[in-house]
Amino acid sequence: MQARETSTDETAVTRVVDAIRGILGERLSISAAVRDQHGHDESYHETLPPDAVAFVETTEEVSEIVILCAAEKIPVIPFGTGTSLEGHVGAVHGGICIDLTRMNQVLEVNVEDLDCRVQAGVTRKQLNEYLRDTGLFFPIDPGADASIGGMSATRASGTNAVRYGTMRDNVLSLTAVMADGRIIRTARRAKKSAAGYDLTRLLVGSEGTLGVITEIALRLYGVPESVSAAVCAFPSLDDAVNTAIMTIQSGVPIARVELLEETIMAATISKEGLEGYEPKNTLFFEFHGTEAGTREQAETVQGIAGELGGTEFKWASQLEERNKLWQARHNSHYVIQGLRPGGRVMATDVCVPISRLAECILESMRDLKESNLVGGIVGHVGDGNFHLGYCLDPNDPDEIQRAHDHNDRMVLRALALDGTCTGEHGVGRGKIHFMEAEHGGALDLMRAIKTALDPDNIMNPGKILPG
Amino acid sequence: MQVDIRPSDDNVRTAALAELEALFGDRFTASGVVREQHGKDESYHTPVAPDAVVFAETTEEISQAVKICAHHGFPVIPFGAGTSLEGHVAALRGGVSINVTRMNQVLEVNPEDLDVTVQAGVTRKQLNEYLRDTGLFFPIDPGADASIGGMTATRASGTNAVRYGTMRENVMSMTVVTADGSVVRTGKRARKSAAGYDLTRMFVGSEGTLGVITEITLKVHGIPEAITAAVCQFPSLEAAVDTTIMTIQAGIPVARMELLDEVQMGACIAFSELEGYQPIPTLFFEFHGTEASAKEQAEMVEAIAGDNGGTAFQWASEAEDRSTLWQARHDAYYAALALKPGSKGWATDVCVPLSRLAECISETKKDIVESGLLAPMVGHVGDGNFHLVYVLDPSDEATIQRASDHSDRMVMRALAMDGTCTGEHGVGYGKMGFLEAEHGDALSLMRSIKMALDPDNIMNPGKIVSV
Repeated sequence: MQARETSTDETAVTRVVDAIRGILGERLSISAAVRDQHGHDESYHETLPPDAVAFVETTEEVSEIVILCAAEKIPVIPFGTGTSLEGHVGAVHGGICIDLTRMNQVLEVNVEDLDCRVQAGVTRKQLNEYLRDTGLFFPIDPGADASIGGMSATRASGTNAVRYGTMRDNVLSLTAVMADGRIIRTARRAKKSAAGYDLTRLLVGSEGTLGVITEIALRLYGVPESVSAAVCAFPSLDDAVNTAIMTIQSGVPIARVELLEETIMAATISKEGLEGYEPKNTLFFEFHGTEAGTREQAETVQGIAGELGGTEFKWASQLEERNKLWQARHNSHYVIQGLRPGGRVMATDVCVPISRLAECILESMRDLKESNLVGGIVGHVGDGNFHLGYCLDPNDPDEIQRAHDHNDRMVLRALALDGTCTGEHGVGRGKIHFMEAEHGGALDLMRAIKTALDPDNIMNPGKILPG
Repeated sequence: MQVDIRPSDDNVRTAALAELEALFGDRFTASGVVREQHGKDESYHTPVAPDAVVFAETTEEISQAVKICAHHGFPVIPFGAGTSLEGHVAALRGGVSINVTRMNQVLEVNPEDLDVTVQAGVTRKQLNEYLRDTGLFFPIDPGADASIGGMTATRASGTNAVRYGTMRENVMSMTVVTADGSVVRTGKRARKSAAGYDLTRMFVGSEGTLGVITEITLKVHGIPEAITAAVCQFPSLEAAVDTTIMTIQAGIPVARMELLDEVQMGACIAFSELEGYQPIPTLFFEFHGTEASAKEQAEMVEAIAGDNGGTAFQWASEAEDRSTLWQARHDAYYAALALKPGSKGWATDVCVPLSRLAECISETKKDIVESGLLAPMVGHVGDGNFHLVYVLDPSDEATIQRASDHSDRMVMRALAMDGTCTGEHGVGYGKMGFLEAEHGDALSLMRSIKMALDPDNIMNPGKIVSV
């Protein structure tokens, strides 16, 4: 991976830092500990600390800081909860990190319109806590308690995207500070619009490379009258995936359908103390609807699963059981970490058309064995998206290299199946070398857009677009 | 409205047309009739004929044509079914109209992945005809039998966007010829991706101003087991709109929910010979699901409607009755014109947050009466989107001016309510004047993108943003 290039003019940095201190006072930090903490995310990518960290409280402050940075061509890197997975926050060329966690106000909830507006630092759990008494909820759940700003910037999704979509579908509009300090709002609060280019979708997934997202209007949903979850084990991976395919084809509005490949299921059973489950390829389902509706959905899916050799559903209808089940699913990172003592996890994801999913998973697992690597796969199978966690010995560079090589082959396999190098983790630094293979000539359009909106390349440089 | 029409330069035109004629042979025409037909859509706006029309058969041909035009700086205007509503196809700067209707092949159907790939000239009805035996359907229905390319370019939606979304949600990727003649594909066939800028959404709704869309990969859906439709009449518009809001809030996945005001309902009763209805505010519903769930949805909505003073549901459960009903809805425009024989229609639309819809409609209707206009209203009310058709005597300039002023006030009213100047018709040149008020500084971002991707302003110039 690319190391930090100290190309930045040190005196320019000093001038900018001094000027920002003039605005923020003690909310600007140059302490090594703070800088280090802001130079890495939850990934295996190397820590690249920024020159300073600015703890902002308003959109106007962000604008003032960006104007100062633009004048000296100093990079600007937005930071939320630091839970990204591809080195998104590393200061590849140094610069000022803008920490948005103090911007954590829910600004507006419009119950009749099923929408809300939040500051970028609000986390998804905080938002759902806030919404508790309104009967509404925000469904997107990437696992980590990420900030809404970060989730927008990385086009996050997660376990219930199969029903509720990703951040692409759930962001109504954004307020952002662009590379020249301009504050723009990308759209109005109408549910749909045909009035010009879709700037909202341009910024969703732009990973801080076009602007700093400071406020987000989101779609919300009514809490379903009834929620139930069930687990079903299958004789083969194909059977599990085909069950998901037929479920979606038959129009069952399933809220979650998660695959645990047999290795992971076995480890999850022992690590999480799940009782009565088999170490087989397994689907976790969740159904949302009316009482009658969820019952009917579940019966339909049980019928499909049964025909494909699935076991009887094991139900988790009580909130407590459901939480335990989904906690076990969300803990897959730790389950993978536990596959061997002292192991460190390197996580990656790809996404393919669902008809190619079983093939892509099986070949990737076979390749894993042949590469003498330890790891496991979990998948948002309804979307054709799966995650592979490698459990690596951090002191074995050869093994780490083998994992990178395996990851490269898996991505190229996904691309050959008309899939993408990342379904939801994003590009950051880790997937940047696949962008050419995935996009071809379309990459030139992305470059043209980047150059038009950030001509001096100060917005999170070194991410998304290969140099 | 002032229309800025500037013909192409004589030398440029002569040179470009000679090369285009050599390329297309007898699929090139400069005949007056054909040119005129390609300079107008279904709107009230002044038509402007292009200098020539070419009938393209392949993406490669379009690429070559655009390269010729780019070389000479000669405008390119894509043309599908010609059913746009804001003057999108008018050749305001002259140029060549690229008619894509011969590109009408369904290229690929992937039932397991619920997607299809079509050429841009395939119409939505043609696609659904083709899909008939697969158990799949493409839901987006703007009324007209528009081409998929045109629907993509204008971010079309229609009666069942409330359940299935708009073209924004249903286009997975596309092939585009960009302003320099390059052919790019904007995405892979994976259901979701976090790999870079969302070029797909950049081109959806770009109205030919960034490139010519030649192929589109779309999501399709399983045909529901049960489809039922019902009509409910209300004592007031507020009662009908409140019913809508409560239905959406309750999370009932209604497939269609269309409002007709008393004027439009009266017109439809007369035009389509509907029996047993009153000329009062009316909602048309459609429910999709299993037998049980469609029934459950209908019962819940009927109860909500009843609480708001709605009549008992009049059912249309047979396919034939449903067709009659929806044909009447789709013929609303013609029904409106029939109110005053010899008149012409001017259709316009706005979209506001649902909570402001009743207010926006009632103020707009009051203004209609005060302006002495005849303008029936229909609405995709689940989205907060409604349409007016001004029924005008083409020789009565004073009334036309009053309609134009009324339309301006309605848009400004929608914007003041945090809505948009168009929910689904698009900008074309008819709504360009409102983009500054709607987008503020964000409009300059759109302009930067336009200039980056089409530096010589040859792609459908004079639409969306002026350069």
